[in-house]
Amino acid sequence: MFAYATRRVLTSIPLLLLGTFLVYALTSQVNDPLAPLRMNVNLDQSAYDRVIDLYNLDQPVPVRFANWLGDAVQGDMGTAPSRGDVEVAPLVWDRFKNSARLAVPAFILIATFAVILGVYSAVNQYKPSDYIITGFSFFGLSMPTFVFGLLLQVIFVVYWLQWFDLKPFNVSQMLTGSFGDVIASHTLPVVTLMLVLLAGESRFQRAAMLEVLNSDYIRTARAKGLPRRTVIFKHAMRNAMIPLVTIWAIDFAALLGGSVVTESIFAWPGLGRLLIDSIFAADLNLVTGIIVLIATLVVFFNLLADLIYGVLDPRIRYE
Amino acid sequence: MSDSLLTPGPGTETESAVVEREGMNVEGRSFAEQAWTRFRKHKLAIISTIALVLIALSFVFGPLLSPYTVEGIDIANRLQGPGAEHFFGTDALGRDLFVRTVSGGRFSLLIAIIVSLLTTVLGTVIGALGGYLGGWVDGFLSQLTNLFLIVPALVILIVVGREYGGSPISTAVLLGVLLWPGIARIVRGLFLQYKNQEFVLAARAAGAKSPRIMFRHILPNTIGPIVVSATLLIGTAIILESTLSFLGLGVQAPATTLGTLVSDAKGSLTERPYELLLPAGFIVGITLAINFLGDALRDALDPTTGRS
Repeated sequence: MFAYATRRVLTSIPLLLLGTFLVYALTSQVNDPLAPLRMNVNLDQSAYDRVIDLYNLDQPVPVRFANWLGDAVQGDMGTAPSRGDVEVAPLVWDRFKNSARLAVPAFILIATFAVILGVYSAVNQYKPSDYIITGFSFFGLSMPTFVFGLLLQVIFVVYWLQWFDLKPFNVSQMLTGSFGDVIASHTLPVVTLMLVLLAGESRFQRAAMLEVLNSDYIRTARAKGLPRRTVIFKHAMRNAMIPLVTIWAIDFAALLGGSVVTESIFAWPGLGRLLIDSIFAADLNLVTGIIVLIATLVVFFNLLADLIYGVLDPRIRYE
Repeated sequence: MSDSLLTPGPGTETESAVVEREGMNVEGRSFAEQAWTRFRKHKLAIISTIALVLIALSFVFGPLLSPYTVEGIDIANRLQGPGAEHFFGTDALGRDLFVRTVSGGRFSLLIAIIVSLLTTVLGTVIGALGGYLGGWVDGFLSQLTNLFLIVPALVILIVVGREYGGSPISTAVLLGVLLWPGIARIVRGLFLQYKNQEFVLAARAAGAKSPRIMFRHILPNTIGPIVVSATLLIGTAIILESTLSFLGLGVQAPATTLGTLVSDAKGSLTERPYELLLPAGFIVGITLAINFLGDALRDALDPTTGRS
């Protein structure tokens, strides 16, 4: 187990490095940091020199990457010219915390409801309630996030005001003052984030639960006269939740990495929107910094999932 | 040597007579026939297929039947609500939204189908090579797959979309190049499972070379999951394309897709919600139908699933 964990960590590092290099090369290829300067005819050569110097644009990409990496491992992620030359690391960290404000509650709600809906659906297979839950999840998987987010905005902000003369939600900014403010500004983005992932996870939980319910040891448990409740909750559900751990890790990493779409729709100052903004501003350091953070999250949570999986299910042996 | 051993003597039953008596004279049904029988049981999938065909037909023939064109500007009749003259109304420039929606849908579907084909071919070849050959090839391809999974596809699409996206074809190719890891993993797993089975050993003993074993002997066994993935990918591609176009990083004007139509309409959501709801409805409708279809195909093409 320990050897496996060590090997996984060690193989993750070159993968992450290679991924970072490819992202860096790709971003350098498609973003021209000098393009925003060319919009302004009044700039003289010194403004160009400053940006060329910042990114070492006179060097080939591998050399630039080596420079960037050398600074990055010492904790210096460079500065972001599109944001008044602020340090990238504190800025990204700040936006990451804002994304987490949505990601953590969304994740807890998704995980809870997915288990409840999935188990309920599996226990009542082919009954009307199962069809309703399945129908909901198909609908959730077929609805693009931006459509759902826009619909929520229109229904709960515009029409709510017309119908009931109430404006329960604030969708134009992130508010953290009072508890009421938090609820008003966080609810709709959290619900938007939940839709697709909840639909996917509840489908997965249903399939896992059905597989367990059809296994021999469940039949034995029933045959020896255990109450249905005990069989479902103690014997079946616990085992059916194990495969969900992997999905949880993937989804949580994706949520923490910020949702470009949800944050754009709700004007949320998180990582996703920062990424979009920095791409449109051709801010190379910022783009790379954000993507490296997202990639690290994915690698870390995948590793965590694999390790937890081995602890929960002792049948799994790592060679 | 006489043939007396082969001709049945008096009083002995022939084999065909036994078959007849025991009621075993059922004609063998091919895999396709069985799959079709299973598929037919899914009413929703049948409805979905019919709906998809109707939607596709309206996308293909809709623009031909309407007197309006995609780019035809008619300021005098701008911002008309849906009605007999303009089925879906007109936009701020007086362009007919029915024609724009159906021809946008044409591009969306075309992109989705190209993405699905490209991804399926790439993913199948990579997964098959990795699973069958094993060793360093598998190690390399698995790490490549992991590399693509490290950074979410949407993030990469956002980075490169502005530079390389723009036209429907380039957007389709971008999506195709990024979506293959999922299908490659599935195919790799199947090839690993089949490559040591007896029929493969038999084929090798008979002198078949590796490419022949991979594509003539193993691949047909994996066709079920591949078809299901390819179907579901059409839905994924429609959602991703519309999301990219919504963010302004996918297909650019004047090319029109369902995603750009939703993006155009988001500013006027309060006053004229139908401008957004109609193209968005097509996106949801097509994806929903594809998902139902994929689910039924999964059932139909897997010989081990029987609904009890």
